[in-house]
Amino acid sequence: MTAVLKVEGLTVYREAYAAVKSVSFSLQEGTDTAIVGPNGAGKSTLVQALLGILPRKAGTIKILNQPLTAAGQLSSRVRQEIAYLPQHFLFDRLIPITVTELVALGWDDFRVQWFHWKTRERSHAVRQALSKVDAWHLRHQLIRDLSGGEMKRVLLAYCLVRPRSLLILDEAPAGLDIQSESAFYHLLYQLKQDQNWTILQISHDLNMVRRHCDHVLCLNQTLRCQGPPNDALTQENLISAYGSDFANYHHNCGF
Amino acid sequence: MTIATDLTRVIDLFQFPFMQRAVIGGVLTGFMGGLLGSFTIMRQLSFFSDALGHSALLGISLGVLLGLEPTSVLLPFAVVFGLGIAYLLQKTKLWTDALLNIINSTALALAIIILSSLESYKGNLNTLLLGDILAVRPADLWMSTALLASCVVFVALTLRMQMLVTLHEPMAIARGIDTAKQQMFFIVLLALVVGVSIKAIGILLVSAFVVIPACTARLWSRSFITYVWCSAIIGAISAVVGIVASAFFNWPSGPSIVMVQFAVFVTAALTSR
Repeated sequence: MTAVLKVEGLTVYREAYAAVKSVSFSLQEGTDTAIVGPNGAGKSTLVQALLGILPRKAGTIKILNQPLTAAGQLSSRVRQEIAYLPQHFLFDRLIPITVTELVALGWDDFRVQWFHWKTRERSHAVRQALSKVDAWHLRHQLIRDLSGGEMKRVLLAYCLVRPRSLLILDEAPAGLDIQSESAFYHLLYQLKQDQNWTILQISHDLNMVRRHCDHVLCLNQTLRCQGPPNDALTQENLISAYGSDFANYHHNCGF
Repeated sequence: MTIATDLTRVIDLFQFPFMQRAVIGGVLTGFMGGLLGSFTIMRQLSFFSDALGHSALLGISLGVLLGLEPTSVLLPFAVVFGLGIAYLLQKTKLWTDALLNIINSTALALAIIILSSLESYKGNLNTLLLGDILAVRPADLWMSTALLASCVVFVALTLRMQMLVTLHEPMAIARGIDTAKQQMFFIVLLALVVGVSIKAIGILLVSAFVVIPACTARLWSRSFITYVWCSAIIGAISAVVGIVASAFFNWPSGPSIVMVQFAVFVTAALTSR
């Protein structure tokens, strides 16, 4: 198996504070890795640094064997292999953008090109992606009118509208009720198998991590543990990442 | 006078080259303002165009003070000032509208102090503030045409990027879009459009050309692409109707156009779902 993502000695500062310190790990092709840790542990900072959204202080990041430069640049070809869904997809609800337009942005490679470039090919890809997530009937709707569950399906269509290697999800099911969350994961893992995606996701749900993920990274500024969930999520490691109160509560409740 | 004689007078008026230039100038300015305005309001930069307008007065006053041709100073000054504001917005941790208000007031205050000390320029202050679309020269039209072409090419070539940058900046960066560079290009174009439009519309009303057609288009549009082009077209049509109205009622041209823009906006507000 080849490494889709390789991170070495990554340190990221938020203002004067090191939110992520000397983190190293790698993701193997086709695996599903979860980042867990308490609020403020640096999970979102870590994924944003991996994408070049936040600058890093030290360390190296290689995605599909291509280095992410210190200025956050990556070759356009590799960029198209990555899809990122932020925690809570917050947008200005007055922006009049339709479901079709949003998913089509997932297909674009964002070079300087005429706005009608490859319209037919683009429309075909959008249709296929929306059909796969059972959202074709929503195509003309403004995204602000979608329910939470519909929005997540549309965002998955944004990811799969073009073949990808790596999906980075920052608490993707945030804001969904239990039923919609379960439907979201069902669809995500169906598509993962179908598309052979490598997934890196931030999660607070240790049960889900144990059930679905191949690998887990426990983060609290530094990497406190990593490995297969059943080996890594020990009482001792949870205390190290979350503190003793949470770990004892978690253990006693049998989660 | 009857309506028929009024109409004849208006038709006669449009035989004059200065009126024809005014209509062409209005269409160009209205289209550019509407096109860039569609992105300006969604990025919450409405006050930015206002601050740029006021900075133009400062640019002109500095030009006069330094003994340079004021209008030749206007465009480079607007661009530099626009980039300066963009830098400040990025660097300071203040609300955008509050910071723009500080810049706006300071630029205006400084410009008035400089202009009041220059006896020779007092007479033209009114024209600067309110604009005079009837004084548009052929050279101004050529400049507006070149700028409109640049705006259309910019939007047509980067529309997909602009959409994602406007919708969700972190997602745009994750897809490899240099959002800072895109924002800079946009601000330079907006500064030029505001600078070029000031001669026709005046400092006080220039931001209306950027904001009102875009808000109207937003109320009527059900997709992003329709919204952008609809905003530009509403801007152009309002300008033509406004100039005809100004000739008919003998009103000043800039304010007439703004009143037409407002009437269309009210219609949109009442008819949109």
